[in-house]
Amino acid sequence: MPKCTIDGREVEFQAGENIVNIAKRVGVDVPVFCYHPGLSVVAQCRMCLVEVEKMPKLQTACSTPATDGMVVRTTSDSVKKARASTMEFLLVNHPLDCPVCDKSGECDLQDNSFAHGSAYMRSTEERRTFVDVDMGPVIQKNMNRCIHCTRCIRFGDEVAGVREMVAIQRGNMTDITTIDGLPLSTQYAGNYADICPTGALTLKDFRFKKRAWFLKKTPSVCGGCSKGCATEVHHENGSIYRTLPRVSPGVNKYWLCDEGRFLFNHAQEEDRVREVWTKTSSEATWAEEIQKFRSTLAQAGSVVFAVGSDLTLEEMKAIQVFVSQHAPSAVLGHFGTPGILTSSEDGPEDSILRMKSKTANLMGAEKLGFKPLQKASFDVAIVFTAGRAVLPELQAKHKIGVGLFITKEAERFDVVLPSLSMFEKDGTIVNHAGIEQRLRRVVPPRGHCKSISEVLMLLANTGKKQGVA
Amino acid sequence: MNTLFVQHFGNDENRKLSYYTAQMMGYQAARRAILEMKPEQIIEDVKKSSIRGRGGAGFPTGMKWGFLPKESAKPKYLVCNADESEPGTFKDRDIIRYTPHLLIEGMIIGSYAIGCTHAYIYIRGEYTREAKILQEAIDEAYKNGFLGKGIFNSSFNLDVTLHRGAGAYICGEETALLNSLEGKRGEPRVKPPFPALVGAFSCPTAVNNVETIATVPHILNRGAEWYAKLGRIEKSGGTRLMSVSGHVKNPGVYEVEAGSITLRQLIEDHAGGCWKDKKIKAVIPGGSSAPVLTADEIDVVLDIEPFQKIGTMMGSGAVMVCDEDTDMVQLIWRITKFYAHESCGQCTPCREGCHWMEAILHRILHGAGAEKDLDMLLDIANNIGGKTLCALGDAAAGPVISFVKKFRTEFESYIRGQKKYA
Ligand SMILES: Cc1cc2nc3c(=O)[nH]c(=O)nc-3n(C[C@H](O)[C@H](O)[C@H](O)COP(=O)(O)O)c2cc1C
Ligand code: SF4
Ligand code: FES
Repeated sequence: MPKCTIDGREVEFQAGENIVNIAKRVGVDVPVFCYHPGLSVVAQCRMCLVEVEKMPKLQTACSTPATDGMVVRTTSDSVKKARASTMEFLLVNHPLDCPVCDKSGECDLQDNSFAHGSAYMRSTEERRTFVDVDMGPVIQKNMNRCIHCTRCIRFGDEVAGVREMVAIQRGNMTDITTIDGLPLSTQYAGNYADICPTGALTLKDFRFKKRAWFLKKTPSVCGGCSKGCATEVHHENGSIYRTLPRVSPGVNKYWLCDEGRFLFNHAQEEDRVREVWTKTSSEATWAEEIQKFRSTLAQAGSVVFAVGSDLTLEEMKAIQVFVSQHAPSAVLGHFGTPGILTSSEDGPEDSILRMKSKTANLMGAEKLGFKPLQKASFDVAIVFTAGRAVLPELQAKHKIGVGLFITKEAERFDVVLPSLSMFEKDGTIVNHAGIEQRLRRVVPPRGHCKSISEVLMLLANTGKKQGVA
Repeated sequence: MNTLFVQHFGNDENRKLSYYTAQMMGYQAARRAILEMKPEQIIEDVKKSSIRGRGGAGFPTGMKWGFLPKESAKPKYLVCNADESEPGTFKDRDIIRYTPHLLIEGMIIGSYAIGCTHAYIYIRGEYTREAKILQEAIDEAYKNGFLGKGIFNSSFNLDVTLHRGAGAYICGEETALLNSLEGKRGEPRVKPPFPALVGAFSCPTAVNNVETIATVPHILNRGAEWYAKLGRIEKSGGTRLMSVSGHVKNPGVYEVEAGSITLRQLIEDHAGGCWKDKKIKAVIPGGSSAPVLTADEIDVVLDIEPFQKIGTMMGSGAVMVCDEDTDMVQLIWRITKFYAHESCGQCTPCREGCHWMEAILHRILHGAGAEKDLDMLLDIANNIGGKTLCALGDAAAGPVISFVKKFRTEFESYIRGQKKYA
């Protein structure tokens, strides 16, 4: 393998690798703005200039492939001066609105300014200004903060497959915007805010809600479809504020679709059923309803257990065991996405990430031997869901729901026992490619939601232990 | 003194094919090249002629052509840079106006040499008349079998497309030109890869200036050695077309053998010297991006290397003369405004720095400057120079540094309120 030397450290590399990535392996951080490993290389920001022996000028580490025997220096005075000057140039027109900027605390411009810039600004000229622009439901643009790294343009073009972000005007007045000011059309618009190194493109959903440094971060997996994108859920004090993609080279790379990104909002909806709910009484309690549930099961002729393929492997298994022990004659089947009953009907919905199965664990259900739910009529139907599976049309005299429901959905049942969303439990899901992934409990449930296994335990308990809920 | 071009300039009749064939050995070099020479031989001859590119960078043309892969699964392109937008430059315009067939013949020979069957001429948008003249000449060449299929009954085919720019200086930079030609935003590309490998439509491409290409028929007609010897300095052959403007008695395009005279001789002997019996204060010797020279510095031999040695450049051969009354602060502000306006905006130092320098100069000019502004200007210019994605940054930085260093007192008189912007 060829070798090069970075700040005195020898390092092997693969042909074609750029200096930024090689340097990272020996602990040398080269600051970047325009470079993003998931996008083409344009060498526009000039932040990554480094000294390469035998080259008269500083070279951009992002666009310069290493060669055998190359000697690179990233700490020389000329490199330091170049970084400081790039920072100064970028701040000549950047507003100092960090106190009210959502990016603050996780802003590349702030971080690089802190590490490489000067505390003193020499420019006394008036800054250029633009008006804020609404870019559709997902993104708000503040052009004043833009540093023209063109990551957004390249993301649209190269990843989302739509040339919607463009540069208009030129030079100092270059405006990064959509063609004719149209709203963004991609289903992946949230990524624009992720890759923007400043607060120029921010998520409307997150704007002014939380300072970034207060957020706790829990790695998890998206439950929005069978792709199983790696996520990081940001929360504080039991509330989720946003979901970001986590880098996962084999699955979602750096990206996340908007549907998955905003899934957490469903779990936090105002009219989510968080207390035991019945059609007839507004004062139902867990103890009474579990009791009734138990006797309903004992008396019923035909029973169906409908299991959403949005549940975890562990939950599915628990239901399976419960049925075999306590309702062996009941029908057991899974439901999730209308029209996608089996994994063989699943497949990519677009050429980026989204899959046709809108539940995450279709493969898991099949692995456990669940079959798609068949249409039939029953005396009693028990429906389990984490709020993502589309509720099946069931013919039954008595319907019980266990899981995440909003009030409107609850009205289709006789009883709803509130259970957990996918952000409120640990568990395993198996994505479309058969990879087992960990879902993490991010926040505790509010109200009196109980996990499915607890509900099943209570049902199985023949009355020895009293005083539930 | 030998001249190749200027004797044909000035008369509209000369642009016709009839004049070209009767007076300028029209299309004989192309005929000989295609029928009797191998492509490598032509490249060898161009190398031997020691011609260096006339677009600004002065890169040896034969070497550039030699960089294109001989075998290529993709088509190869020759692109003529007729963007001529460096302020002060107007020589390519005369070539197109009066000897358009010379350019077309050069395109034929060059295309044959590098193996191109579809060549492009990218002409600046403002050259409407010239575009019309050139298109007429191209049509004439097609009609007479110099372009199209089976040229001179050989198996060589060549189409030439004239493409008009939309009026951006940056589209003279070769990779921005290629982007613009492809219908994209006129922004320079990261290099490497160089156009010789990945150029127009991602294919191997040679980009050459009008004067460079129009010289090639002369090289073939008169011989590479003869052409090389016209230049007095090793590795720089031929004649140079000099666009002389500013405060001279006779502005215009002059042709001199490279390295045969000094810059002062060009101004005084050819262009009639400073106008109105005034003295020369300064000379911008190679287009507005060339660092300025004081009157004491112009006894420099007129060629690429001597210019480089004294810290300036020959660039596109555009000499701008400033008389003793020239306001150097106003001039550099105007030049900087040009580069700030023409910056494409993709790279940080140029986008932010050029505009910042312009703002400071504007402030100084309007009486709001401070002493520290001058060192700051030098520092900003140094932070731009050599750090940008393309050479526009250098083009903007060099002049500022030279003006502030060489004419500092003039800036100071503005700063101290001794002088006011009129
Ligand atoms: C900002 C900028 C503007 C340029 N403008 C022109 C131009 O107008 N005409 C030109 O021939 N070359 C121009 N050049 C030089 C070209 O990039 C290129 O070097 C040249 O066309 C090559 O031709 P040559 O080798 O025949 O000189 C410019 C370069 C820069 C950096
Ligand atoms: S130097 Fe100026 S013109 Fe060249 S790429 Fe950078 S911004 Fe564009
Ligand atoms: S990260 Fe290398 S130029 Fe922007």
